[in-house]
Amino acid sequence: MNGDMINVALPKGRLGDNVYDLFAAAGYRCPEIENPGRRLTFENPDVGIRYFWVKPSDVAIYVEKGAADIGVAGKDILLEYSPDVYELLDVGLGRCRMAVAAPKDFRDDTRKTLRVATKFPNIAKRHYSSIGRDIDIIKLNGSIELAPILGLSDVIVDIVETGATLKQNNLEVFSTLFDISARLIANKASYRFKRGEIQKIKDSLQEAIR
Amino acid sequence: MNYAQNRLHEKLRTVFETAGYRRYKMSKFEEYDLYAKNKDFLVSENVLTFTDLDGRLMALKPDVTLSIVKNSAAEGVEKVYYHENVYRASNGSLGFREIAQAGLECIGDVDEYCVCEVLGLAAKSLSAISDSHELDVSHLGILCELTDRAGLDAGAKKELLRLFGEKNTGELKKLLERESVAVDCAERLIKLSQLDADTKDAAKVLRPLLSGYVSEDALELFLSTCDFLGEEFPGSVRVDFSAVGDIGYYSGIYFVGYVGGVPSGVLSGGQYGGLMKKLGKPSRAIGFAICLDLVDPLFSKAEAFDADVLLVYHDADAKTVYKIASKLSGGKRSVLSLREAPEGMRFGEVYNIVGGEAVRER
Repeated sequence: MNGDMINVALPKGRLGDNVYDLFAAAGYRCPEIENPGRRLTFENPDVGIRYFWVKPSDVAIYVEKGAADIGVAGKDILLEYSPDVYELLDVGLGRCRMAVAAPKDFRDDTRKTLRVATKFPNIAKRHYSSIGRDIDIIKLNGSIELAPILGLSDVIVDIVETGATLKQNNLEVFSTLFDISARLIANKASYRFKRGEIQKIKDSLQEAIR
Repeated sequence: MNYAQNRLHEKLRTVFETAGYRRYKMSKFEEYDLYAKNKDFLVSENVLTFTDLDGRLMALKPDVTLSIVKNSAAEGVEKVYYHENVYRASNGSLGFREIAQAGLECIGDVDEYCVCEVLGLAAKSLSAISDSHELDVSHLGILCELTDRAGLDAGAKKELLRLFGEKNTGELKKLLERESVAVDCAERLIKLSQLDADTKDAAKVLRPLLSGYVSEDALELFLSTCDFLGEEFPGSVRVDFSAVGDIGYYSGIYFVGYVGGVPSGVLSGGQYGGLMKKLGKPSRAIGFAICLDLVDPLFSKAEAFDADVLLVYHDADAKTVYKIASKLSGGKRSVLSLREAPEGMRFGEVYNIVGGEAVRER
């Protein structure tokens, strides 16, 4: 934790750009970040904020370990890694869903162990354990849709936005596990010692979302 | 361990001993059975085990409280403190770790004074670690009463406690809607999850919120404890129901302590009536543990040097070197005495013995 500035971990990519726009609309603009150059951190002392971009799946770690006071992370990441952080606000960006998908002609043969390919092994395990289904997890890091096509798995558990990629690969959603959107998270100790500032950011974001 | 860490441990010992707590020194091992039966109480389910020479399955202690409670006396009040290492796989680590813990337990005929005393000692311990500290206090008995009144089943209750711990009001509202909780009860639960108040304001906030919804005795006792904390530790203890523990074990006041510069809670504890019941003990208990490993980085600044002082004694005789080293240390600073200055080490100050006298290098 660094000085009196509020350190904000933003997820790299399209979601992060939208999140920054929301912070800017809430009164936390940072001219430096709009002309980034080769810098890694960007600050605006006038509003007491310092931003840095990190891999979306790392935002929760930066916040949990206190390198960032607050951050914005997808609900998928929060449910997969269960970081010890406060989840203060649904910022409503990056809406999608976590779903089980399979080839259109798939039929679940409950006499067999179900092979599940996923980037989210903890979420998949929790889901199938809650319905008592025996599964074999195949942890992949990308191109999950390929797994059932090549016979590597029976189904996949993955993020679905529009469903276009699934459709193109002759797959379809069999069940939705939960809806996903980006959440404002805070480090538990930072919340104690920078309570006023963090609460003000949360309220301003809430106002900007409306 | 450096001097600053040593001093902290000494300060904590003083905090505990001046309240009449006596040191409880224990063996590193315990029969595995104790932990197998109480896995939910442990931070991690993973326990390091080995078979003893007589065939018993033993464990390196992953927790101190269970052992103390198991061996506690049946009558009176037992007040003990400990400073022990425990062995467990901590969250996010890839293997087992040896973790230093200090803490205390008050077991037996625990009354209101005992509860106030333990909370006071928790606040004083945090103060011994850092000037920048905060103790958050909640009451799991009151929270459970309210969830029972809301008609939540065990699964929903567990989910609700997780959301309280995350200060996740958005998801909490959805849960209460999904579970068709009566509006007045739901509103109270939502307000309680958002509560973050100075203990001196506890009565003003909690009485209108909870009166008539939870047992008056429990509420008044909690408010009286908050009143004590607000008076004795102004500004450093807050009522915050995001401090939640396992309700199977903790049944009353629960608290978590934070210090500036450490990203997570360093102290946690509470009234563990549930654990006492599970272990077949008729008495009550309250205690807390401080994770010293989390606090250590606060004192690592002193380790910017390999020693506070390097004393290069060249050809000086042993008596002279000993006298000068003792004087430079004064029992407070670390002094490394070597014939020649070593390579690759850093020192706060460097002295050479020249003609029987210590001369400081500029």
